[in-house]
Amino acid sequence: MADYTNLELMACVLARELKDGEIVRVGVATPAAEAAVRMAHLGHGPNIELVFFGGRMNVAHLDSIPMPAFPWDRRVVRWSESYSDSGHRFDRLKDWNRHVFFIGGIQVDPFGNTNLIGIGKDFARLRFRGPGSVGTPSLSTHVGRYYIVLNNHDPRVLVERCDFVSAFGWGDGGDDARRRIGLPGGGPRLCVTPMCVMDFAPGSRRMRLLSIHPGVSVAQVKERTGFELIVPEQVPTTTTPSAAELELLRNRVDREGQLRR
Amino acid sequence: MRTERIISEDTATSWIEDGMTIAIGAPAPMAMVRQIVRRGVRDLTVIDSGLSLDLLIAAGCVRKTVSYYAGGHLGVPVLPNFRRAAQSGELAVWECEEGILCAGLQAAAQMLPFMPWRGGVGTSIPEVNPDLKLFKDPIAGETLIAVPQIKPDVCLLHAAAADAYGNVRHFGGPGWLDLFLYRAADRVVVEVEQVIPNEEIRANPWATTIAGADAIVRAPFGAHPFYSRGFYLQDVPFVSEYFEIAQNVERDAAAMHRWVDRYCREPANHAAYLERIGIARLMALNEF
Repeated sequence: MADYTNLELMACVLARELKDGEIVRVGVATPAAEAAVRMAHLGHGPNIELVFFGGRMNVAHLDSIPMPAFPWDRRVVRWSESYSDSGHRFDRLKDWNRHVFFIGGIQVDPFGNTNLIGIGKDFARLRFRGPGSVGTPSLSTHVGRYYIVLNNHDPRVLVERCDFVSAFGWGDGGDDARRRIGLPGGGPRLCVTPMCVMDFAPGSRRMRLLSIHPGVSVAQVKERTGFELIVPEQVPTTTTPSAAELELLRNRVDREGQLRR
Repeated sequence: MRTERIISEDTATSWIEDGMTIAIGAPAPMAMVRQIVRRGVRDLTVIDSGLSLDLLIAAGCVRKTVSYYAGGHLGVPVLPNFRRAAQSGELAVWECEEGILCAGLQAAAQMLPFMPWRGGVGTSIPEVNPDLKLFKDPIAGETLIAVPQIKPDVCLLHAAAADAYGNVRHFGGPGWLDLFLYRAADRVVVEVEQVIPNEEIRANPWATTIAGADAIVRAPFGAHPFYSRGFYLQDVPFVSEYFEIAQNVERDAAAMHRWVDRYCREPANHAAYLERIGIARLMALNEF
């Protein structure tokens, strides 16, 4: 029995991806990403800038950066140094290649296209009406790279084809898929789930198994994925959280244990 | 003599007629939202997200929504009444996203037929929303989206303070899309925690976030159960209770109706609503 949860492992995986000096934007409903940006900032990224709800801040001097108590907990903006709502929300897009973002989805296809619109064939009578795209179409268009973060690894989520696409990842595949339609951003880099980490294979940009979490088998991942995944001969195990990472996460970020529930 | 612009929440919402397009800022100006429910306005097109949107749908006020996000609360990924009404077809959704919404509001503010926007190219959004047109731009030949005007008839906002002449101050910055909504709308009503003297506005004009709101509604705790920066925090248990009832709406529609009656239809005005909530509960929300 591991002494950490899947969400804690996902937070560590994502935190390791973030580099000092980057600007990271976080939306709502992806707790692993919420924790990861805080961990990276306190751990190895004193020049990371956090953007929450349009408020931009550097809070590396704090002993702890608590998680929001509830979605849309706007107290997080109290540390802001500037606030984009007073000007234009999508200002200085030309700098967004330095920005990193995280995105969820009710469906994700093999090329990292994501769907927050809904499930069904007829848009006017959806079987499941989703929450809507928030800002993910614009963010995914412009940010330097983004991470798809799923709270469930499920064949109904990881599907062969999204019923609707709200954020364009790698389209129908290919390194030039984004350039062809004029999207300046770098596209999705990884898809992180409670079972594994996947990337997008250069060339086809199809989803490829990068590492599996401890206790998970390749067969299990295949069974829980609704499309054919590229599986290399050797699939390493995801590096487990170190004692230092867990100390940082639990004592300085997720003090209420939201990721342990 | 300069004309004062302070009116009651009842008068303000009497500007809203069946079939109009209204925009609701963040935090939602709930004192006015509740009055819209109480007045039984119908067939509105609503630009909004969150509990206020869901409540207006539950109360039967909405025919169409311009929505970039209809997420709920902890454990409520999609607003329950929004979801039910959208799935049954009784609610039309003008599918968009934040950048597209801002572009449409900007087009309205600047009296342009459309604004170009890139976010959404390659997605299903222009397919499911035929008002959005993909076009080749005449300068560089890129494919972009032409976003037509999104023009609210009335925009309803909540802010910290204003003087009697419509000079508004937000504490800690204006909410989410407030300034976009303000710039685009024909008429703007702002409810505020405090009415402050005009001298105070003149002492620091840079602090004025909205100049010339058409009307000011004095509504302390007017954003309840939402937060109001510098005054109070979100009433989380109250919001949770709403979503518990809303999530159960298909099994127990009567409970939803009772909730709407209790908090929106029965209190005659904002003061009566606050009495129903109770002073102890409100005081406990003090921001720290």
